[in-house]
Amino acid sequence: MSCFGCFSLSGYRVSSDGKPPKFQPPPKPVIIDRKTQKEERRFLSPEFIPPRGRTDPLKYYIERKDMIQRRKVFSIPEFYVGSVLAVTTADPYASDKSKRFVGICIQRGGKGLGATFVLRNVIEDQGVEICYELYSPRIQAIEVLKLEKRLDENLMYLRDALPEYSTFDVNMKPVPRMEHEEIPVNKVRMKPKPWSKRWERPKYNIKGIKFELPEHKMKAAQKWSQPWLEFDMLREYDTSKIEAKIRKEL
Amino acid sequence: MRLSVAAAISHGRVYRRFGLSPRSRLDLLRNLVTALVRHERIETPWARADEMRGYAERLIDYAKRGDKDERAMRMADFWLTEKDLIHKLFKVLAPRFQPHPGSYTRLLQIPNRDGLDRAKMAVIELKGNPLPPLVRPRRDSDKTLLNQLLKGYRQDAQRAAAARGTAV
Repeated sequence: MSCFGCFSLSGYRVSSDGKPPKFQPPPKPVIIDRKTQKEERRFLSPEFIPPRGRTDPLKYYIERKDMIQRRKVFSIPEFYVGSVLAVTTADPYASDKSKRFVGICIQRGGKGLGATFVLRNVIEDQGVEICYELYSPRIQAIEVLKLEKRLDENLMYLRDALPEYSTFDVNMKPVPRMEHEEIPVNKVRMKPKPWSKRWERPKYNIKGIKFELPEHKMKAAQKWSQPWLEFDMLREYDTSKIEAKIRKEL
Repeated sequence: MRLSVAAAISHGRVYRRFGLSPRSRLDLLRNLVTALVRHERIETPWARADEMRGYAERLIDYAKRGDKDERAMRMADFWLTEKDLIHKLFKVLAPRFQPHPGSYTRLLQIPNRDGLDRAKMAVIELKGNPLPPLVRPRRDSDKTLLNQLLKGYRQDAQRAAAARGTAV
């Protein structure tokens, strides 16, 4: 936001021998970008947050220490559900002993060291989903080709969407991003029904599909809505204090 | 191969089942919370009071967020069926509990109900209420060993102070 450029006045000095002074280009301006230095908005991976339960927090503390140890050796980049990743794993039966898979992350599950993410791609008209463990020693590299966030946490509906939304080129180049990731407004279009799950029902709470169903079907789906659930206060899990403690540990 | 849990096992379930359905359970607890906010001390079966306690304390946490918060107002609007109590919640109860971080209610068991069911009853009250206290804290008797020793120590200290006072 603030940029300082220093301009020298050497061009205006009168030279001793009367000839016009040699042109000296001004030094490059120094841009200090404050946007990237926001401390409060640092990303915390969701597998660090312990689930709600009665287990001893010591177990999660020890697991977190192990996770940090692994992250020091192998860097796990920041990514969200909906971003395109390329993962190289070790494989004893391949010719170069490693396998590369590109896909869109449709869900991130598990907590602690067993945290997983599922990548989906459509290869030669066949949909393929592979579930990788983040902290597995067989993973050699994770690159984020396109960092993107979606409106939902779970993109399982891509199985019933048109295949163009799940196909990604295996050799695509990483797309550079400067500003913070935005949530895209374009919605996904679906194949005709039947679907594997009834995504129009409010139980799944999906915001990223453009439903082309008739009005009476959408109204019939609302019959299964449970409006009292949002007022059920004991079901809420407030993670802000837990996150603050974990950030201090990191 | 059985894929779902058997009917009667409920390991790890935290929410009790009341009434005819989940909606009716919330309505029952909502009536109890409204009554608690109105009278500040009520007598109900122990299970209902225990279940209601969590909701009442979370409601007060929401009320502490303030009047202007949209979500707090919607929660109070849902949970308090009598609308004059919303004013009492935000203007009287929230400032009363502002200094405390948690535990705004007290739950005490009572002898079983007199009717045919002999249900386990409890009294749940908000702390700091204007009614007379339920439990009077009783001091230990003076004749216990510890109290006698403390009394002797206090008398020695007083004598020493008096002796120093006359000497100086």
